[in-house]
Amino acid sequence: MITERTEVSAQAARTVGAPSRVGLPRWFIWGGLIGLAQIFAIATVQPLGVSTAYPQLVGYLADRVAPGFAESQPYLQKIGARIGWEVMLITGIVLGALLSRTLPGGNRIAACESPTLFRASWARGLAAFAGGFLILFGARLAGGCTSGHMLSGIAQLALSGFLFGAAAFTTGVLTASLLLKRANGGR
Amino acid sequence: METTHLLGLVTGILFGFALHRAGFSRCEVVMRGLAFRDFTMLKVMLTAIAVGMVGAAGLATFAPEHAHLKVKSLYVWGILVGGLIFGIGMAIAGYCPGTALVGLGSGVRDGLLAVVGGLLGAFAFILAYPALEPVLIQPLDLGKLTLYETLRLPYLPTALVMAAVLGGIVVWLNRLEAKQRT
Repeated sequence: MITERTEVSAQAARTVGAPSRVGLPRWFIWGGLIGLAQIFAIATVQPLGVSTAYPQLVGYLADRVAPGFAESQPYLQKIGARIGWEVMLITGIVLGALLSRTLPGGNRIAACESPTLFRASWARGLAAFAGGFLILFGARLAGGCTSGHMLSGIAQLALSGFLFGAAAFTTGVLTASLLLKRANGGR
Repeated sequence: METTHLLGLVTGILFGFALHRAGFSRCEVVMRGLAFRDFTMLKVMLTAIAVGMVGAAGLATFAPEHAHLKVKSLYVWGILVGGLIFGIGMAIAGYCPGTALVGLGSGVRDGLLAVVGGLLGAFAFILAYPALEPVLIQPLDLGKLTLYETLRLPYLPTALVMAAVLGGIVVWLNRLEAKQRT
């Protein structure tokens, strides 16, 4: 069972690295398109940044449930509990992924196949949930995430982006290596 | 719908489509990427950064009225601690805030769970902000520093050189991966 899943994931990894019909590697085409989306964002409104939208959306919804919540929270006063460019951006990301999945050529794999310590389905789900909590808490403390600090920050040669990238990769590499090593029996 | 809203939506669709086609709906791309077992994540990221770097500097130089740049302040403690927490979360979940949304849009259960966890993490940060701000955000805020201003270098040439360096790293990773496969 586990070997089967590992094979599936190895196969999936190969597909991603495989050249597309045009002959250019997929990472080059899609990485390049993300770069073009970035240029479009800079030319129209502001550089890409995903994580601000989470507290904005939470603030907007919480303020609907408990009116006055947004006004009572200094952080929401700072970033605004509103549906603006940022929340529309994350709505677009979900729609874009859905579009890619629907059109021919998009992968439709519905689960994570990587063997880690969290092999059982419930443990894997809990890990996704807890990891999601940590990335947003960390990103908001740092003032940006992979997109705001790295895709945008490093692209603008901002020192804040380089520091965030170094910090995130330090713990990211350590944690991922440890989890995968343990899961694969100390290999 | 205002123009800004529409622009955000269009940018998001482009971004989400590209992230999905690059494989980021699956959490193992990030997990294996962070463990250096698969270089897809690094190659996509570095390519995107290099293209954005040249574009940002080009816009700022030749069409400054269209360059809506936003350099973030370097408040050392918050970025350092936030980045360290972020890295742990990224390795556990296999997602970052953007790719979790790609997982959600692609119908991956773990993407949905990471987004729900993220909304809760954002809520926790809203509540924790008054306590954290004086400790981690206000002290040691060095301002909106960039590499080229700090080193007193011209913007466009610095960006071109840095983009070429990133391109070189991508080519090197690609060769390394080809060697590992054989």
